[in-house]
Amino acid sequence: MSLAFTATRGNSRSFYTLATLLAIFTVVGLLCFITSYIRGHQVLGSSNVIPWGIPIVVAIYLIGLSAGSLILSSMTYVLGREEYRPISRIAVFLAIVLVFGAMVAIAVDLGRPEKTWRLFIFFVLNNMRSMFAINGILYGGYFVISLLYLGFIFAEKSKWTKMMGTLAIFWAALVHMGTGAIFGFVAARPIFYSPIKPFEFLAAAMASGLALLILVVVSVFRFTNRTLNKEMIFFLSRLLLALILVLFTMVFVDKLTHLYPPHREATIWLLTGPYSWVFWGIQVGCAYLLPILVLIHPRYGKTIKGVIGAAFFVVVGIFGERFALVIPGTAHPLPFYPGKIEGIWGAAGSFPLTPIETLMCLGIFALMGLFFIAGLKHLDLLPVDENEGQTPVKAKEG
Amino acid sequence: MPRWGMVIDLDKCVGCQACTVACKAENNVPHGSPEEQGLRREIYWNKVIAVTNGKYPRVNTQLIPMPCMHCDHAPCVTVCPAKATYRRKDGIIVQDFRRCIGCKYCMVACPYGARSFNSKEQDEKEYYRHDLAPDRSVWGQWPFPSRTHGVVEKCTFCFHRIDRGMKEGKKIGKEVVPACVEDCPSNARIFGDLDDPDSELSHLLSSREWFRLREELDTKAKVYYLPK
Amino acid sequence: MLGPKEKKSNGLEVNRRTFLKLSALAAGGAGANQIIDSFDAPALPLQNKTQNASEEKWIASSCLNCPARCAIRVRVVNGRAIKITGNPISLVSEGKVCPRAHIGLQVLYDPGRIFSPLRRANREKGKEIDPQWVPISWDEALDEVTRRLKLLREDHQPQKLLLFNGLNTVSSQDLTVRFALAFGTPNLVSGDGLDTEAEKSGNWMTDGHYTHTAFDLDHTNYILAFGSDILESCQPLSRFLRKWGRLRREKPNRTKIVVINPRYSVTAAKSDEWIPINPGTDAALAMAIANVIVSEALYDRTFVDNWTAGFRPYKELALRQYHPRVVSKITGIPPEVIQRIAREFAQTKPAVAMRGKESIAWPDGTYTSSAISCLNALVGSIDIRGGVIYQENPRYKEMPPLFEDDIARRSKIQPSLDFRGTAKFPAANGITNQIPESLLEELPYPIEMAVGFNSNFNMSAPGTERWDKALKKLPYYVHISPFISEMALYADLLLPSTTFLEEWGYDHSPPGSGFAEVKIKQPVVRPRGDARSLVGILFQLSKRLQRGVEQSFAHLGDDSEGFVKFRTATLMPWKEFLNKGVWIGKDYEYRKYGHIFHTPSKKFEFYSGNLKSLLTKARKGTERELDYLPHYKEARFLGEKEKYPLVLLPYQPLMVLENGSQNYPWAQEIFLPMHGVGWGTLIEINSETANALKLKNGQRVWVESSFQKIMARVKCSEGVHPQVVAIPVGQGHYSYGKWQKGMGVNPNDILGVDYDSISGQAAFFNTRVKVYPA
Repeated sequence: MSLAFTATRGNSRSFYTLATLLAIFTVVGLLCFITSYIRGHQVLGSSNVIPWGIPIVVAIYLIGLSAGSLILSSMTYVLGREEYRPISRIAVFLAIVLVFGAMVAIAVDLGRPEKTWRLFIFFVLNNMRSMFAINGILYGGYFVISLLYLGFIFAEKSKWTKMMGTLAIFWAALVHMGTGAIFGFVAARPIFYSPIKPFEFLAAAMASGLALLILVVVSVFRFTNRTLNKEMIFFLSRLLLALILVLFTMVFVDKLTHLYPPHREATIWLLTGPYSWVFWGIQVGCAYLLPILVLIHPRYGKTIKGVIGAAFFVVVGIFGERFALVIPGTAHPLPFYPGKIEGIWGAAGSFPLTPIETLMCLGIFALMGLFFIAGLKHLDLLPVDENEGQTPVKAKEG
Repeated sequence: MPRWGMVIDLDKCVGCQACTVACKAENNVPHGSPEEQGLRREIYWNKVIAVTNGKYPRVNTQLIPMPCMHCDHAPCVTVCPAKATYRRKDGIIVQDFRRCIGCKYCMVACPYGARSFNSKEQDEKEYYRHDLAPDRSVWGQWPFPSRTHGVVEKCTFCFHRIDRGMKEGKKIGKEVVPACVEDCPSNARIFGDLDDPDSELSHLLSSREWFRLREELDTKAKVYYLPK
Repeated sequence: MLGPKEKKSNGLEVNRRTFLKLSALAAGGAGANQIIDSFDAPALPLQNKTQNASEEKWIASSCLNCPARCAIRVRVVNGRAIKITGNPISLVSEGKVCPRAHIGLQVLYDPGRIFSPLRRANREKGKEIDPQWVPISWDEALDEVTRRLKLLREDHQPQKLLLFNGLNTVSSQDLTVRFALAFGTPNLVSGDGLDTEAEKSGNWMTDGHYTHTAFDLDHTNYILAFGSDILESCQPLSRFLRKWGRLRREKPNRTKIVVINPRYSVTAAKSDEWIPINPGTDAALAMAIANVIVSEALYDRTFVDNWTAGFRPYKELALRQYHPRVVSKITGIPPEVIQRIAREFAQTKPAVAMRGKESIAWPDGTYTSSAISCLNALVGSIDIRGGVIYQENPRYKEMPPLFEDDIARRSKIQPSLDFRGTAKFPAANGITNQIPESLLEELPYPIEMAVGFNSNFNMSAPGTERWDKALKKLPYYVHISPFISEMALYADLLLPSTTFLEEWGYDHSPPGSGFAEVKIKQPVVRPRGDARSLVGILFQLSKRLQRGVEQSFAHLGDDSEGFVKFRTATLMPWKEFLNKGVWIGKDYEYRKYGHIFHTPSKKFEFYSGNLKSLLTKARKGTERELDYLPHYKEARFLGEKEKYPLVLLPYQPLMVLENGSQNYPWAQEIFLPMHGVGWGTLIEINSETANALKLKNGQRVWVESSFQKIMARVKCSEGVHPQVVAIPVGQGHYSYGKWQKGMGVNPNDILGVDYDSISGQAAFFNTRVKVYPA
């Protein structure tokens, strides 16, 4: 079935209000970044104990969302499932915006952001044994591939699109497995160290990416007065349920493994200590239990509201999952020598939520939001809708 | 090629923390403040930890000085994306402030908490000696540009002393040693070439029981401890 | 068609542009000032790679952050002191220094220092009261001081001048003593009475030396440390730190070290055995050890038979009253442990018994001290390799005879404010902590004027509140120190003195090495601001005072450099001394039994003839035989046990600089190594006791004695005797200093006032307290 795509008019008052709001947050975020750049990371919540703070949590969260979203788009362009075509362009564009946001988040967290270019001197000035450096290749490549992918989609070169799409799936999987490896290969931190981390991250990416995509698509279609294929959403909700179950299994196995010696103290501390509420409340409760309960519920699981609710829980919960990994992962004191280490060296780190850090991260989200709605307005991402009365751009076959 | 290592004799160590202070004086390491200690932002290149076991009256507290271990299989070297930290041929793990982008991956990976992040400009002008590297104003003895905020720093085995000593033909380990070794009042710290069978280091390691911290992580640390 | 994406991939370009644009925006923003100010922090511009030739030199001097006075070398680059390390020529410390020497850099460049004389404008004096200092010139300041001093002399009342001597160089002290004598006042009070005077009086009882004990540590094989914080506050500390390394692993036999202390100190942690003891019962333990050694005939017969007197009454006392079973109940130490330790002590040769503040700063500290001294004699460890030795003092060039005019001569016979030499404190050299009562009660006479040289007794003495009251009462007080210490808050005139790195002087360490060693002090940098050295100030005052004082200060070199050159002329050539920084006396000679004992019998006396002759004279024979023998008397505690169940133990961590200030971040950030924290005070309580009191780790608590109370966070520790509360001193400053003001609390605030009657030693450890949540 051929489909025409167009941009949204984007001239309603609510559109402009949203754009202004996002712009304000972006500017505020930028100012916070400038403060952090000039005054140093003392304005953030990180310390010598917990070196990675909210920007890194946001970065790995966003890259996960991006990878998940991109993989979903392959349903149409690689597997040829036409019922997803209306949302596939949005999926790809969303992925691009998200990975851009992730890269911004990483750059913002660097101590010296002006040296970000040093992450991209592959093999010459990069230590390629470092997962961070490998991720430089992966993220950079991912960004380029996604752009090319979208380009081919706009140019409607279906063979190139399919090729790019296939590449994109594998690359996206590698990207997020690579991100997981950043943590999984660090032996010094018992909560991180695990070969399952790349797979856990991939599962989280797909679950959260899919959930976000559902939310975005439903909201965008509603705000642009388009009708959404309900069957498609319900199928996606089944897929989401499956992904959550897979993710849950992986996390369960990971934590269970870590509860066996050696080095179980850190995991026990995660599960029972000051950050346990993030783990149990947000990660397990919000990302796994609640969505599963909603989606398997005979009544709620079959309503759009229920699916949206479940997707929302997943999106929030997976953020908590990232947080419950990064912060407690480094907060637990390092066991230099057996016994009770006195004073500051044996104390668990605390992570204060500072306003500058929070606003900076909100700014990143706002920036992405701005780009996304700008894309909706200036790019042909949305399917044509008779209600809106746009002049369609005729799509060629395939 | 020498392979520099250190031995810390915990039987001779008197827990005075002169090593911590001497290192700060020698390398112009910023001092902290009560707020920074609470927020865990104080910078120490050498720290002395106290580990307690037992209950009154059978209590035992070990006071253990910990510099950077300059591991032969350093996790920090593996994870640094920008080649800012790398292992020199003589075994010293170097931190190049010019290349450091402040990503803090090395801090996450270090099992010994040896690394500190510079989270602000030093503002106490009176104590901050602008004419001594590694401050941002001069190059001084350090071959690398000076630190600014936003980079990671750590113990360097006083390589500036070693390099100058090698150039002047002095005996490293006897005439030239890192500041913490020189200023340890009880001579509990010994520095030298691990690959030289005649060095004091080798004598000690072959004649006494030794251990390294977190041996199970197989970092091949080059700072050895001799128990009481 | 691709949209505005590509702009972003060129990350650097846009960031910089946006950054510049928006920074202009930011400048107008609310927090702009703050941001831009911090960015301006480093004052110097970026310099080129090629460094200008810098002037670098190493200057020999000595430290004065505690009374050890260790020889140091200071690296000075372009006129700025950069690094302090030890002087390898010194044999006292073998070229080593403790961490405090390094912190000398922060003492020199302390941002809170004063650089011009200050006069007080606000008549009111008190802890929270702002003196409203007004800077004046040196001439004005010295004129005023001279005027007031002259008044006293003209009134023929020079004894109404009270001089406080804090931590100063030996050269400053020599001149201060001379000044007091020439001026005509007997009231020169030093901080010795707050330290370990009881150690000296105990020694004096047995071997006639009213000094600290020296030990030949190179060869000792066993150390029994009674309350001695060898690795934290013993003097000279650097020697002990260095020798510890030697004793452990640099000689064929590893020395065994046993620490007896209610608190698990750093010394205890590094030693081989920690024996917690009920506070104040060390004398009983020492006598019990004597009991075991004597009853098992393990004592050194040769020495005891030939070179001691009064062994019989001592032996009988030990055997009769100090059986280990009895003493075990007193000390809380099992009898088997006492017996084992005694045997080890007697059979490991050579062995020494050391004593420290925690065992002898008690009401009967002299007897504890002499009991421990007797242990050394019992096992023959007197003046032998590895035993107790007697410090040789350097022979400086004699100063010309003092010129005593009649004013000075008359007031020499006046009693001194601290009642030394009277029946109250017959053997004492100085009773520092008596001064507040004497000032407040105006006994034996009121004081008109006081001068403080680097003193800070209203922080370092027990019962600080009465010091504040007494200082407030002083009609006129001149304080001389580099910064505004707590004592300086009560000054009418404040003179800025140099730190030890900016002045001339000569110093020798407290007893420890046996052989004599003199270290120079020379300015490593020019004196900062308008600060002047103490010696310089004294010379200038003497010239203005004229008459006897001026004459007594003539021919002494005329200024500080001249004075040091004069006094050390007998030691070595001046240039060589400046260069090397250290003069070392001849090697120590052992076994000088013929003439080393300054006692009536010319032997080591278990039964003290010295004390007997003094007490019979001073107290007119009201004493009993027991009073001339070492013995244990149950300690008198301040505060009833029911109300105040715990005993306060204020201890001094290594990181306390004894110069009256703690405004040094390097010291503050690692203040308590056993607890891994800094910047404050911890109230250390046994964890079981804390449990019983329902206290949690880190909780704020009040520690209250029958006098005062203080608040800090509690630390539940395994290293404290169940009935003891251990609190570090050195914090609680309230006068000046970004790095010390308002941090921590001072346990001296809540201590009661008590003395060892023989030596006047202030008692620090017999105050009872209670602890409860805040």
